[in-house]
Amino acid sequence: MNKTFLKNIWITILILPSLVILIAVVVYPFGYNFILSLSNISLTHIRDWKIIGFDQYIKVFTTVTQPNIYVIFFKTILWTITNLFFHVVIGVSLALVLNQKDIFGKAIFRTILILPWAVPQLIVALTWRGMFNYEYGVINAMLTQVMGLPPVEWLKGESTAFLSAIITNVWLGFPFMMIIALGALQSIPRDMYEAADIDGANWYHRFRYITVPLLKPVMIPAITLGTIWTFNNLNIVWLISNGGEPQDSTHILVSFVYKAAFNFYRYGYAAALSVIIFLILLLFSLSFMKKTRTAENVY
Amino acid sequence: MKLKYLILSFFILSCGNKKEERTKITIWHQMRVDERVILQSQIEKFMLTHPKIKVEQVYKETEEMRSGFIIAAVAGQGAEIVYGPNDNIGVFSSVDIILPLDTLFDKKFISQFNPKALTYYKNHLFQIADKLGNHLALVYNKKLLKTPPKTTDELIEIGKKLTKDFNNDGKIDQYALVWNYTEPFFFILFYTGFGGWVMDDEFNPTLNNYSMVRALEFMRNLRDSAKIIPRESDYQIADALFKDEKSAMIINGDWSWSSYVKAGIDIGVAPLPIVNETGLNCAPMISPKGYSVNKNISNEKLIIVKELLEFLLNEENQLEATKLVSTIPTQKSLYSNPYFTNNEIMVNSQKQIDLGRSMPIVPEMRAIWDAMRPHYQAVLNGAKSPKQSANDMQIDSKIKIKEMLE
Amino acid sequence: MKNKFIKYLRLTFSYLFLILFCAISIYPVLQVVNISLRPANRLLTTSLEIFPQNATFENYIKLFTEQPFLIWIGNSSFISLVVTLTGVVLASTAGYAFSRYEFIGKKISLLSLLVTQMFPPTMLLLPMYIMLVKLGLLNSYMGIMILYTATALPFCIWQMKGYYDTVPFSLEEAAMIDGCNYFQSFYKIILPIASPALVITALFSFMSSWTEYIVAAQVLQNTELWTLPLGLKSFESNFGTEWGLYGAASVIIMVPVIILFLVLSKWLISGLTLGSVKG
Repeated sequence: MNKTFLKNIWITILILPSLVILIAVVVYPFGYNFILSLSNISLTHIRDWKIIGFDQYIKVFTTVTQPNIYVIFFKTILWTITNLFFHVVIGVSLALVLNQKDIFGKAIFRTILILPWAVPQLIVALTWRGMFNYEYGVINAMLTQVMGLPPVEWLKGESTAFLSAIITNVWLGFPFMMIIALGALQSIPRDMYEAADIDGANWYHRFRYITVPLLKPVMIPAITLGTIWTFNNLNIVWLISNGGEPQDSTHILVSFVYKAAFNFYRYGYAAALSVIIFLILLLFSLSFMKKTRTAENVY
Repeated sequence: MKLKYLILSFFILSCGNKKEERTKITIWHQMRVDERVILQSQIEKFMLTHPKIKVEQVYKETEEMRSGFIIAAVAGQGAEIVYGPNDNIGVFSSVDIILPLDTLFDKKFISQFNPKALTYYKNHLFQIADKLGNHLALVYNKKLLKTPPKTTDELIEIGKKLTKDFNNDGKIDQYALVWNYTEPFFFILFYTGFGGWVMDDEFNPTLNNYSMVRALEFMRNLRDSAKIIPRESDYQIADALFKDEKSAMIINGDWSWSSYVKAGIDIGVAPLPIVNETGLNCAPMISPKGYSVNKNISNEKLIIVKELLEFLLNEENQLEATKLVSTIPTQKSLYSNPYFTNNEIMVNSQKQIDLGRSMPIVPEMRAIWDAMRPHYQAVLNGAKSPKQSANDMQIDSKIKIKEMLE
Repeated sequence: MKNKFIKYLRLTFSYLFLILFCAISIYPVLQVVNISLRPANRLLTTSLEIFPQNATFENYIKLFTEQPFLIWIGNSSFISLVVTLTGVVLASTAGYAFSRYEFIGKKISLLSLLVTQMFPPTMLLLPMYIMLVKLGLLNSYMGIMILYTATALPFCIWQMKGYYDTVPFSLEEAAMIDGCNYFQSFYKIILPIASPALVITALFSFMSSWTEYIVAAQVLQNTELWTLPLGLKSFESNFGTEWGLYGAASVIIMVPVIILFLVLSKWLISGLTLGSVKG
């Protein structure tokens, strides 16, 4: 009896401070937003707003927006998946390469590779935008002079502008995954590899049966949260496309929230859309966690 | 263990707030770095003669200032004074968070100012500006171009001669004209040149007309037939090209002119050309930037704020700002000041302002900008015809206005 | 012979791969350095040279003499360090509990940690402001440190939990057989092994306070309390951004991050293997 009681106290001490802060900081804004989403608060009703039910939600689903909100939803999913995929693949590959025993200058490589994470986003995003310029950007310069390919009008085409935003965001995001993977690789005991070698495993077997399962518990939180953050990351898309160019096509779902709230003062609409985005992400996380069984223990 | 105590003590320390004895007045603004320096020195002069008062100026980015002030003021807080372009006034007074200034200042004080500097909304004065401008004009590099074009035909003619490929490698090394032409604000000037305007007296959008179609066609021609402007040109690229002396002309606003001077370019400023077809001047939009007062202000602070504003808006301070950042002041008495009349850039700037039109301050304007942008860009990208675009812009702005005012 | 050949192949490929990505990483950053050295406030330039012809350090000088840059550094450092320490302490303990113990509400708590990240931040501004005003936390270090810790914790707790999950419980069991209690087995055995995860937690907590803008803009209204991101933003203005100052500030902002990383990477690649489990 005594032991269980002590154990429970111990657990409470460990968790309570974090949970308290989180609840205080999160529950109120959530609740407030939810109420706003049920109201008609907007420019004309900023002081005398009242609850009007689910009208705003209906508006989100039925208004024909420019651009089409469902197309943008699809683009957001594409944006998220592509970014995460490259973040993880590049990050993990770099970590694996750097983790090899016989590489020299690891410290230098690591430090240079972390630079994209360290540099302030605004100025580097605008620098990237400059690099994508048709006439004067370095990317087209390399395409034409080094690889003999025709230059691309990166920022003018709908799909190429989107691609430019993705490339920039991948550049910004891979160091994060690399660091996590590097840390995760440390948890894998070397003697496991040695034992596998004795058993006659080749690098593929080692990778698939030792590295991946032990990387998983550490990478999964990063991937889940990375997905959530990327889904809502308006900054880069906005900066690279200069606010949606060409023709308001380069947007992700949160752009609508931003525009509705800040440009048109349609706070009720923005709140409803935010709640919907939240539910989408919630659904994703639940199913992802279930699939990867992360809430359970590994060993 | 020790670590935990350390953290705890940090938290406790940070809880303490210093008690200020002086009355504090805060000004929120979105001034540029060079303008801020001037404001700070003027505030310090004021504080010398008013030792019981502390004035703090806080920079906020334009968009944030607008939404931040709305959020704060509706919650009963916010800075006592807010400084910004006058298009915020429409929103601020709709939400009822700023004070009518005609109740604060007397008629004599108000009559000192250029009427364009006074912003009224629903018959009350809500903002008094100290800088008039935000207007676009034609800036040219005197090294590359001696006399600026006066009409659009001249623009194209001179332009063709100035757009050169020096080394014949197929890439143009010098453009006649660059500017941020993908942004509607930088396109309006041609729309007005062809006779159009954004809204009527009832704030309904007026975008679907012949002037718009012609203006759109003109823009396309500049790039595709006359080829005197680059294919892709946003604000930064245009700025870079002009500073690298790879362009003879740039259309940019008064905020940028001193940076060109600093970059060593010998610039001249000229009014935008006259459109041959209509005989009208291209009229850029003008916005004054000025001071408004938070409605939540206490009576005792109000007296101080009145004094402070009278000080900041006076002749001496306005002249100082003009000299340092080349903005047009708003005290009528300054227009005959020799500094003005002798400075070529200022004289031309003034000419341009006289030919410009005030930007509407009503909230509908935002909806119109937002509606214009994608359809305008669609014409540039060849995705829509000018007729279609003008039509769509009109429909779209009506929808957006309706949604906003629901 | 064949093994040596494979080894050289592997090494060559590895180095090429690393060098390629280093080049990709460093080029845009060099551009930012470039911007900081250019006179007359240029963001872009049409020339492709790495260092500008008339490079000057005047932006850096102006940063320290004309702008309260040191104040911003001071505020950011203080806030970030406290948040980092708090984050490490709270995440390492909470993550441990989630990893080792089963209890009522475990799944919900874990999920709710994630949930806090899902809401688009734009809409949280208004209620956050109102809450800050009501609690009197506007313009206070305390307010912002609480908010930052709350923002960084979810990821850190999850991260620590994930890492602890890869450490077999047999280690603690062995320690307890040897006479340690719960706390000692945690503190002396598990924590050192989890040092890579602690490093990640520290780095992440630091970065999320060092570079955060939106929350800071809401909480810290007084200019004496401004952090680096707020100061940086003040160089911006609609069309008149002072890119020279912005670039110089950006370069300086990167330095502590890089230094922190250099210092901490020793523990990131600790190599503290779990050889202790054998037998």
